[in-house]
Amino acid sequence: MTNEKLQDLLDVNELRLTDDETVRMISLFQKMNGCEASLSDINTDNVDIMVHVQPLTNVLREDFRDQKFSRESLLEGAPEHTEDSWQVPILVK
Amino acid sequence: MKYYISEISAKGSVAVDDNILVKGTPASCGSRMLESFVPLFNAEAVDRLINAGYEISGKTNIGEFSLDLLGETSYFGECTENGNLVSAAASLVAKGDIDAAVNTDVSGYPRRAAAVSGIDFLKPTYGTVSRYGIVAAVCSAEQIGVSAKNAKKVKELISVIAGHDSKDGTSLPADSYSYELTSASGMKVCIIKELFDKASDDVKKSVSDYADKLRSVGVTVDEVSVPEVFAIHAAWNILLCAEFCNNVSRFDGVKYGYRSENYKNIDELYVNSRTEGFGFITKASVLYGSDVLSKGRYNDCYDKALRIRRVALNKMKELFASYNAVLTPVCSQKNYQPYEICDAFEKAYDENLFTAIPSITGLPAMVTKGVQLIADSFCDATLLSLADSVEETEVM
Amino acid sequence: MKYELVMGLEVHVELATESKIFCSCGGHAAANEPNDCVCPACCGMPGMLPVTNKHAVELAVMAGTLLNCKINQYTTFDKKSYYYPDLPGAYQITQWFNPICVEGSVEVTTKSGTRTIGIKQIHMEEDAGKLVHDDWTATSLVDYNRTSVPLIEIVSKPDFRSGEEVIAYLEKLKSLFRFAKISECEEGAMRCDVNISVRPEGSDTLGVRSEIKNMSSLSSIARAIEYEAARHIDALERNTEVLVQETRRYDDVKGRTFPMRNKETAADYRYFPDPNLMPIIIDDEWIAKIREELPVPAEVKYEQYVNAGISEKDAATLTAERNLCDILDGAVELGCSHKDVAGWLLTDCAGILRRNNTTIDKLDIAPAKLSKIIDMTNSGDITRVAGKKVLTAVIEKDVDVESFISENNLTAQNNTDLIASVVQKVIDANPAAVADYKNGKTKAIQALMGGVMRELRGNGDAATVNELIIKKLSE
Repeated sequence: MTNEKLQDLLDVNELRLTDDETVRMISLFQKMNGCEASLSDINTDNVDIMVHVQPLTNVLREDFRDQKFSRESLLEGAPEHTEDSWQVPILVK
Repeated sequence: MKYYISEISAKGSVAVDDNILVKGTPASCGSRMLESFVPLFNAEAVDRLINAGYEISGKTNIGEFSLDLLGETSYFGECTENGNLVSAAASLVAKGDIDAAVNTDVSGYPRRAAAVSGIDFLKPTYGTVSRYGIVAAVCSAEQIGVSAKNAKKVKELISVIAGHDSKDGTSLPADSYSYELTSASGMKVCIIKELFDKASDDVKKSVSDYADKLRSVGVTVDEVSVPEVFAIHAAWNILLCAEFCNNVSRFDGVKYGYRSENYKNIDELYVNSRTEGFGFITKASVLYGSDVLSKGRYNDCYDKALRIRRVALNKMKELFASYNAVLTPVCSQKNYQPYEICDAFEKAYDENLFTAIPSITGLPAMVTKGVQLIADSFCDATLLSLADSVEETEVM
Repeated sequence: MKYELVMGLEVHVELATESKIFCSCGGHAAANEPNDCVCPACCGMPGMLPVTNKHAVELAVMAGTLLNCKINQYTTFDKKSYYYPDLPGAYQITQWFNPICVEGSVEVTTKSGTRTIGIKQIHMEEDAGKLVHDDWTATSLVDYNRTSVPLIEIVSKPDFRSGEEVIAYLEKLKSLFRFAKISECEEGAMRCDVNISVRPEGSDTLGVRSEIKNMSSLSSIARAIEYEAARHIDALERNTEVLVQETRRYDDVKGRTFPMRNKETAADYRYFPDPNLMPIIIDDEWIAKIREELPVPAEVKYEQYVNAGISEKDAATLTAERNLCDILDGAVELGCSHKDVAGWLLTDCAGILRRNNTTIDKLDIAPAKLSKIIDMTNSGDITRVAGKKVLTAVIEKDVDVESFISENNLTAQNNTDLIASVVQKVIDANPAAVADYKNGKTKAIQALMGGVMRELRGNGDAATVNELIIKKLSE
């Protein structure tokens, strides 16, 4: 892990670190990359990925409309909002 | 020393961790980011408790998104007793203030908490308790479980909160399991040598003592070698951080929760809100999780970890062909002292060695007398029966 | 040097479901005001879990069938991560690893002939919300109504060689999807990204590619392609600029494309399988059931209608709209003739809708009511004029045909004595018209007809009236 790569990760995650945290994070990456070496203990050449630990399929719902929550209640906790919408600083087009 | 983030009823006998939604009560998840977030509905588990007549005492303090050891990364401060870290919920149960607590087992915190406080905790089989109403951290693995003083109380509560829920697409049909207690006599248990060897001497002693107690109730205890545990540990941390990174991306200062006062445009709003709103353990987890999903690393890390998950489950299924349960330490040490917050990510990363197998495989795990028992899917009753059999000998 | 355009399309189409793809908020057509079809999941709040809308899956399979695709029997959902205020969770659920349909094709016809366009894949995904920019307050307003509305994205192969082919393809998709009720494809419900490059004719290597994002009107797509092709050719011929692979947007007012911010385009989306959504297995039985739901294709219907005696022009108009075909087929099933129903639809119904400032594709009438009006008119129970009155009331107020006729005394007057007395009265009152008629101006009979019909309030049987007038005048 380099400072540049870390900066890319920070950018893509909308985060910032202090200088101390940056040093710490880079050493953490070194440690974790070291632990990743153990991944090759297990040969997975003929093993499929397992996203779900339980073998369910076709969990589907019927297409009907059910509007349970009011706009007012959803907007109530918004940091900034109008009567009907959330508000953010204007996005440059 | 904040045990409750929000108190709900002084008469309440069951506490709910702060990452499980109770309508109208803030769900901070131990994070500044969600200090002001008030949910609009109850988690399914909470509804089931209330419908069964249980009163909720309040929302217990947890570490930020439940990633840490015992809750010490909470924005609202850690809980300590006699100089050692304790978790809020487990401590309240141990002291008898409440009968039970429901906790989300994201990566093992409630299991560690139960071990440290000397109570029982069951992380049930993945898919048996609805995740509807959990502030999601690791969707493929996290489960709501029950903390209580003994296995009988755990059984009472888990029977209430488990069951099929069509609002959770990974919820299993309720007819695939039950919680009937049986005699442990004649059961076979094995200890995973590699995990045993990594624990401190006093933890080793707890495991050996528990093995003796099991033998005294008619259980056979062997030792087996599972050299894959280190690869499984690395794989689990990869899956954990990757999913976590994605799940907390929704907290961005736009819709609810914390928004920085310091911004001139959307990028500053995002960066400053997230930087000020999250603690270091969250940031570190997000950064690592994002890295393992990135183009150049996906195949070697995330994809590989998903394959190791299958190997881990197959390996455990092999053991369950000969054994009813697996016995391991759940912590490297008996107690944890407070530490510098910047070490939180690394400490949790390391301790996950002991909690990784049940987390990555979705297998049920029970902590009792400071040790961890793991069983096959839907065999939660085996774990309760083993724990109960040992506990019964002590009552007598 | 002559140049050749090489283009591929990514078309996003909103599916016509009642509810959204992963929650039960109202779907594409339900919203009236900003954020009135929104739940905690739609605004990125934690706690809710996605559960897939079965109908969205079925519509995607239908679309794949119409575009001759192979249906992947094992299909899964993935998460795609990026930050933008219209994306409430900062991730979009889409299909990256196992899309629902692959390897299809569709024929497009332009002036230069018919060509086959390859379809690489169709995948399902959720739509994002909408932003409205308010310069006065320097804020953008976020509306999550469109969040999680089901979309299919149809990814073509780079098989397009002209703007005309692109437009013909989009029009074809639109008519196929509208006819099968997969999507209403109204303005904004069909959006398109064009990948475009230019190379010397005859070359088989591809030029530098630019992608023009998110266009929805056919005319602006055509203009964007024209502009972009010219820009590429200028760059190649006259070194006006160095082309780079990039994402651009088309500004219809300025008539130019502009590069988009690097941050929006260079992102690594970090796709991974969604742990909350289980795989979907689409077996042969389910596919067969979905295919049964597909309508008879418009081309086949067109042939049917022409064979049944409808003019080619009318058959084309009728088969452009699924609702007209449904009404026509329904009325025919109840015993009406194709020609009769076509006439009533395209003349009378169309006229009534026009007066109500709407168009024939919005026609909503029960086939049973239309067939009843046609039957009663044909049998003479009501006159053609009365029939039109009933039709108007049915279309505007959905009245009951028979009670409307009786409440408004619209039953045809066949009583010869009554009609004869009215005829006498009108003849007596119009000596000038009678004189004209007798002087050979046979057209004068029209004035007398009109008078009689007015007296009978339009309910006189025209043939009987005509016959009686001629009889009286020749007496």
